[in-house]
Amino acid sequence: MSEMRDVVVIGGGPAGLACAVALFRLGVKDVLLLEREPQLGGILRQCIHDGFGLGRFHQALSGPEYAQRFIDQMVSLGVPYETDATVTEVTPERLVTFASPSGIRKIQARTVVFAMGCRERTRGALAIPGERPSGVYTAGTAQAYVNLYNRMVGKDVVILGSGDIGLIMARRLTLEGAHVKAVYEILPHPSGLKRNIHQCLDDYGIPLYLSRTVTDIHGASRLTGVTVSKVDERLQPIAGTEEEVSCDTLILSVGLIPETELEQDAGIPLDPHTKGAVVDEHLESRTPGFFSCGNVLHVHDLVDNVSDEAERTAQSVKRFLEGTLEQGMIPVTGGEGVSVVVPQMISGRDPVTFSLRVRKEMGPCTLSVRQQGKAVFSKALPKALPAEMVVATVPPGVFAPVGDVEVMVSC
Amino acid sequence: MLKNETCIVCPNGCDLSVEIQDGKVLSVSGNRCKRGVTWVKQEVTDPHRVVTSSVVVRGGVMPLCSVRTSDPVPKDRIPDVMAVIRTIVRDAPVSAGDVLVTDLLGLGVSLIATRNVPRNKQ
Amino acid sequence: MSASFDVLVIGGGVIGSAVARELSRYRLSLAVVEQNLDVCNETSGRNTGVCHGGFAYDTGSWKAKLCVQGNQMMGDLSEELGFDFRRSGKVLVGNTPAERASLEKTREQGIRNGVQGLEMIDSERLHRMIPGVIGQFALYSPQSGIIDPFGYTIALAENAAWNGVLYFFAHPATEAHFHNGIWTVIAGGEEFRSRWVVNASGIGYRAVSDMLGFPPYHVVYSKDDYIILDDRLGKDVPMPIYTVPSNTYMGIHVTPTTDGNLLLGPTAENTGDNRYYGVEKKNIDALVQNAMAIWPHFTKADFIRTYSGILAKWADENGVIQDFRMEVKNHAVNLVGMESPGLTASVPIARHVIALMEEEEKFPENPSFCPERPKPLQFREMSDQEREEAIRKDPRWGKLVCRCRKVSQAEILQAIDNPLGVHTMTGIKYRTHTMMGRCQGGYCQMAIEQMVEQETGEKPQDVRYCREGSWMFTGKVREAGR
Repeated sequence: MSEMRDVVVIGGGPAGLACAVALFRLGVKDVLLLEREPQLGGILRQCIHDGFGLGRFHQALSGPEYAQRFIDQMVSLGVPYETDATVTEVTPERLVTFASPSGIRKIQARTVVFAMGCRERTRGALAIPGERPSGVYTAGTAQAYVNLYNRMVGKDVVILGSGDIGLIMARRLTLEGAHVKAVYEILPHPSGLKRNIHQCLDDYGIPLYLSRTVTDIHGASRLTGVTVSKVDERLQPIAGTEEEVSCDTLILSVGLIPETELEQDAGIPLDPHTKGAVVDEHLESRTPGFFSCGNVLHVHDLVDNVSDEAERTAQSVKRFLEGTLEQGMIPVTGGEGVSVVVPQMISGRDPVTFSLRVRKEMGPCTLSVRQQGKAVFSKALPKALPAEMVVATVPPGVFAPVGDVEVMVSC
Repeated sequence: MLKNETCIVCPNGCDLSVEIQDGKVLSVSGNRCKRGVTWVKQEVTDPHRVVTSSVVVRGGVMPLCSVRTSDPVPKDRIPDVMAVIRTIVRDAPVSAGDVLVTDLLGLGVSLIATRNVPRNKQ
Repeated sequence: MSASFDVLVIGGGVIGSAVARELSRYRLSLAVVEQNLDVCNETSGRNTGVCHGGFAYDTGSWKAKLCVQGNQMMGDLSEELGFDFRRSGKVLVGNTPAERASLEKTREQGIRNGVQGLEMIDSERLHRMIPGVIGQFALYSPQSGIIDPFGYTIALAENAAWNGVLYFFAHPATEAHFHNGIWTVIAGGEEFRSRWVVNASGIGYRAVSDMLGFPPYHVVYSKDDYIILDDRLGKDVPMPIYTVPSNTYMGIHVTPTTDGNLLLGPTAENTGDNRYYGVEKKNIDALVQNAMAIWPHFTKADFIRTYSGILAKWADENGVIQDFRMEVKNHAVNLVGMESPGLTASVPIARHVIALMEEEEKFPENPSFCPERPKPLQFREMSDQEREEAIRKDPRWGKLVCRCRKVSQAEILQAIDNPLGVHTMTGIKYRTHTMMGRCQGGYCQMAIEQMVEQETGEKPQDVRYCREGSWMFTGKVREAGR
């Protein structure tokens, strides 16, 4: 007793929204978007800071405003969607089951777009030693409490991780009256964007300590303090460098993990580097008919790139439904200077937008793409930082139909 | 004195070098467009910031509405802006783009709502 | 406040609640005083969750006798009380001739203790059962199993409460006086008078034993640290994998939970402090190293959480761990050294406590005693049709709040409205298994906390995470708002 749909989009955040809107505009109207929260918008709902849409809209919008641009189109175009709808199962045959206050529904989809975003790496996943008091929050959870639920998480705050979300929360908590004592970062360089170091830490005199990590957590009921240690070049704590920092709140900004549980259930192969699905330049996974875009594919830093990627996904879905999409079979690997690259496969026939991250900060450098050792494309970059995804589009006609591809960035 | 700033006007993020003496900008280099020069001159002499925060909404589907200043305000006025923000209470519905305060602290900048908060049906 | 009871049980853990429930079969006025804000915050909620076979204990000991009884009844008990139990079996793997000899001795002891079905199995059979295990042979105990220790303790307590037992949380016992046949116990600053007292305080048994006038017992605290792994791994380990035990501790285990997570542990280390539950780095490293020797199919990416428990054991002057001791003096029942297998043996221990009491006083039966506690409905265990029906009656069954464990809003509300009146976040966690998955509450805790506030009327700054003093928030961000 299941309904049929051409496309089911799982996730109503920036990726799902851009994909569903693009599909509709391309004439693919038999779409259903499923969102588990009561409102559309995904993670953007709680990102009330500005800086979104500089590329796409030439404005520095807040997260909710950026989302609203797409939500307004969903409504004006009449794109079908359900909120409070949680997908409980996706089979390899693309039978999607979801639960909502209206009941259990099963949809036989011709294509599925995974756009579920990320979850946060937890204290437990890092196995930070010590007691387990209240007052230890991942940055996104703290952000949701403060921005959506009107709950203030603490007074004397230590932040572990200088990724953007931690930096944003340093400012947010300070403006709401907390005392943010310091941000500790395990790497020898900051993880977040320079503008955020500047506007969230420097502006408020919050010190940033590099090559540090939290090695013990104290408090039987509520947090009373943490032990911070210096780390060596292998990121291991150095004995004897322990420092006690009293605090009642520890914010952890220690990484995002694509929430691929539904993809795993459907048997979609994942990439251990990105933790998301293996896809080709069409954003199609190795299992035909399943597509992936946004943070669930790989962790982005600019939402504009998410929207672009989601729109490319919509174009691929349309071609799949028309029967003109062929899977990429040429493997792509990240070579010198590159830590992760998407897509991991290409067909060699269509334009390819490579999204990658470099291993370390670089000044003027060159992105080069080689096929079977031969240089086929290069692009000069004024700089490249691990915190900022590098995006480069290779036009069609560049690649041969066979031959492994390698993407590198070198100075 | 030489100051380094990373421009935030567009995603290029040009690394700008500014020669500044007695509070006056002598030269700017590293920019790829004119907007960067304008921005960095402001940034090193009289930095401005957009302030984003929340205000109380009564009777809405959520307790808070996110807000932002329409334009950057002088950095040293942020505490005063926050003091105004903390006093604001609105009744739902609120729409993204609603102007909540027209001239914040006489700075010629308004405070606008950045999300829709519909009325709670219960 | 001063209240009078027939029996006061000090400690609401698995043994205290089992005692309270057994006592509620009789027409007695009953109370449990519990130091924490919920029933499974100490040892009852910090163990490996194993239903032991009973072969690891000296023949003729209470541990052996009561463990075998508890093991045999666990299936029926889990049906009666509505908690998760799976008679999974267990293997103790070995590789050397010395280990084989040790396992064979253990098997013989088990047979003497009355354990059924124990057999030595070879590598082929072992690897058919658990393909990924490292081991040449094993002692297989088909009667062993795994229990949800939270669900079990809560079920005992809720059934006891249903049958008239009053639970007083945040009531640590601090003083006790016996005068004219009546005990006066000060707990939580209030006075409790009763004719009988039972010391079921587990982690705090020594202090309460002293209060009740028993001779000083040499207590040894053993701290057990664990790592919890992602529930994706559970399908690969159908039963607990143990190594060859020594007589000081059980060895590193790799144990599935009833939710499908894997537990690595415990380490076991004597500690002088029965309050400190921090997990040390060296123990985390040791757990990984030792677990790799029997089941190496995990990486750090599979870590969910670490946790620890403390067992309060009784030792002689040479440090040799003693048997359970259950004694009566002046109408006080003293339970000494209630460590492993206390979880498995909890109901037989409780019945022995009643037997000791009945040597002095016959209790009249409670004709309205109801042994059943229906298992709370859980979305994740329902078929699509059952889910559809539940949603039709109450749409909140269709609103999933916890994605990792598929827990609906209706279940969370049901858990907040629990018979014991527990309103901590961990109280909801233990009753629903929310916040126990790989996101550790990152996604769901906000909505759950909001529900706790709405249902209980508690102010944000008063909501507790677990213990007294474990505040979540300083207050609202904007006071004028919700």
